[in-house]
Amino acid sequence: MTTAATGLADRLRDLLGPDRVLEGDLARSLYSHDGSIVDGACGLVVLPETTEEVSACMRIAHAAGVEVTPRGSGTGLTGGAVPLGGGLVVSLARMRAMDEVDVANSCVWVQPGVLNLDVSTAVAHLGLHYAPDPSSQQACSIGGNVGTNAGGPHCLAYGVTVQHVMGVEMVRPDGEVVMLGGVAPDPPGYDLRGVVVGAEGTVGVVTRVLLRLTPLPPDVRTMLLDFTTVADASAVVQGVIAEGVIPAALEMMDRNMTLAVEEFVHAGLPTDAAALLLVEVDGTEAEVTTATAVVERVAREHGVRTVRVARDEDERALLWKARKTAFGAVARVKPSYYLHDCVVPRTKLVEIMEAIGEITEREGVMCLNVFHAGDGNLHPIIALDRSDPDETARAMRAGDQIVRACVAMGGTLSGEHGIGVEKREYMPLVFDHDDLEAQACVRRAFDPSGRMNPDKVLPTGTRCGEVGLADAQVPEGTWI
Amino acid sequence: MDLTPSTREEMAAVLREASAAGRVVDIRGAGLHARRGRPFTADEVISTRGLTRLVDHVPDDMTITVEGGTTVQEVQGAAAAHRQGWPQAPAEPSATVGGVLAAAVSGRRRLRFGPIRDSLLEVVVATGDGRIVKGGGRTVKTVTGYDLPRLLTGSLGTLGVIVQATLRLWPLPMAETWFGATGDDAAMLDLGQQVIADLHRPTAIVASPGALHVCLTGVPDDVVAPPGMQPGGEPHGPVGAGLVQVGVPPVALPALARRLAADGQDYEAWLGTGICHVAVASAGEVAAVRDLAALHGGHAQVIDGDDPLRADPFGPPPPGADIMRRIKDAFDPAGILCPGRFAGAEAVPA
Repeated sequence: MTTAATGLADRLRDLLGPDRVLEGDLARSLYSHDGSIVDGACGLVVLPETTEEVSACMRIAHAAGVEVTPRGSGTGLTGGAVPLGGGLVVSLARMRAMDEVDVANSCVWVQPGVLNLDVSTAVAHLGLHYAPDPSSQQACSIGGNVGTNAGGPHCLAYGVTVQHVMGVEMVRPDGEVVMLGGVAPDPPGYDLRGVVVGAEGTVGVVTRVLLRLTPLPPDVRTMLLDFTTVADASAVVQGVIAEGVIPAALEMMDRNMTLAVEEFVHAGLPTDAAALLLVEVDGTEAEVTTATAVVERVAREHGVRTVRVARDEDERALLWKARKTAFGAVARVKPSYYLHDCVVPRTKLVEIMEAIGEITEREGVMCLNVFHAGDGNLHPIIALDRSDPDETARAMRAGDQIVRACVAMGGTLSGEHGIGVEKREYMPLVFDHDDLEAQACVRRAFDPSGRMNPDKVLPTGTRCGEVGLADAQVPEGTWI
Repeated sequence: MDLTPSTREEMAAVLREASAAGRVVDIRGAGLHARRGRPFTADEVISTRGLTRLVDHVPDDMTITVEGGTTVQEVQGAAAAHRQGWPQAPAEPSATVGGVLAAAVSGRRRLRFGPIRDSLLEVVVATGDGRIVKGGGRTVKTVTGYDLPRLLTGSLGTLGVIVQATLRLWPLPMAETWFGATGDDAAMLDLGQQVIADLHRPTAIVASPGALHVCLTGVPDDVVAPPGMQPGGEPHGPVGAGLVQVGVPPVALPALARRLAADGQDYEAWLGTGICHVAVASAGEVAAVRDLAALHGGHAQVIDGDDPLRADPFGPPPPGADIMRRIKDAFDPAGILCPGRFAGAEAVPA
């Protein structure tokens, strides 16, 4: 490390003590990775526990001109939490406090290191839950969820993270603390809160999050449907929604994935099916009865082989376990995986599944599919052994073609994982120069110094033009 | 020059020329939400009413893409042909899509369906200096890049002209009915609170002086009159020279409404959401309502009224005002788009 960087470590140690500043080789190596296959370069790690400590760390980093990458649980799949230039990682993992639940307003302030599932667990006795439920919810943090605008199976009916974040407290790149949004709806001015969610840590470090809590539905029914063709399963996805029923969740799993999961979870999944649909409907008893009847009827119209309705909470939990441990089950097939998170219009499901099959067969790689069929959000998982350079290269090529196929069908790059490092060079597939420049300007408005999680989200070379950056156009004394 | 451009390229050209000449412009759709923000003097008013094409409607994807001057009624009509609707939209058939998005006008069904900003998937704007910028994506789910759709929603025309929007549609419910009751204000607010406590996801609970309106949506078995209520129409909204929108924590709304009722002020409180619209007659009343909102942990902004009522439409500058200013500079470098509309010159501390 340079002398300047050594001085930085000293200042941070003065602030946090020796145990909460990590600069050993092991730590720096660990913090140079996340759930993706990106290899980064981390210079130093700090583990603050309060907003004040984060703010003080950011002031020190600001003075030293050091790049900063915020990090939650590190479960991200696009390299968003991986520092690339040897900068400072601000880990929020120790900030795990939850305020008392504001039952009357159905919300709660939490620190960013709180794990997603812990929120729902903590408020269940109040008849409430936190709706966004990424499959990694046992491990991923709320801060990371805010960074990526995380989704999950139940976002089909309930909406993604940004619809459940009422406010954020954020430490700005210079260390100043700002509060955006809050319990009172629609504050004056631009919706900066809406921009911070999904900004992948490039605009500041979120230190507290006001989460909207949603009443638990009075009734819920979970069904597993199995089909002999992917086309039939896709037709059911389309048909159910066309009938005016928006299920709480509508998930699809292909045969490769079903085989891997069943070996792992033993949920009694039909491993000879071409595609499974996991459908959950919730609401009032009358809503659930009506929706269940629609799902069963549409499924029968499209040749469903069996309709398995979870008889009790245990069976429901087992079916969801089968769905949510799917990524982990890939480890039984190959040591690593590479996946994309593209979205296609729901009407293109059959077409894209065929295309993915052709692409992966051509490249000679194994692809397992488990995804949010209801909103067209794919997760084609290419199993690979990273020690095999040829297989890795073929996996990358297949992934690249899948992304391009999705975009060509009117889709987009990411539904819930974010862009990070892995997908940034694909951004020009969906945005032109002016679009990207405008995004760069929004980012720069938050971080004029360009030190916040650089090289993420936007493709290399994207800049906010020289236009209008001097603050001079808007007269002094006005706020916009 | 034609101030009613009929393509996005023409719109961009008009703005580019205005920027070059330093001419201040105002933007107008149907004009329903034009009296918002701090008054400013425009050299010309640009209309979006030449931009009315239905660009793309994919009923099976439940998305619709329209130009900014398309009306709410046109969207609802196209959607209804496929048993779909835009439940977040306000009950203003003649309002334009660009107008309700730019002003962030949410409809009364917000309690169940969320605010208007949740329905905007992709947006295309013509910036102040005449660039055409797209943000978001047409799929129902996307986290691809910075969320320009949310940034543009509620920007009151200060960042660009919304020339095109892709909206998420929802299935029309099997049943939906408004129910009404009349009585003294306190009893109506209590009844509203009871509906919140008893029902799963009511669609709207609207308290006004001497009345309560409740909207229920869903399957027919669930759409039945709450105790003490009868089927009736949608409320009409408060009437006055001006209108203030208050936002307070939802739990504080009944107390705030009681105070308004005691003061004899016309209001419409959307119980469960924290939103309340209050009729005002003078700048003094605006200030009084704002004080009341602050007392209850919220804020107040003037959403309709002539110039004197809008001398201070927003109150104190919001957190992150410097960030907003830099965004404004980037989207409108010549400062020609509704300059000063968001300004709080007097309110900014030295």
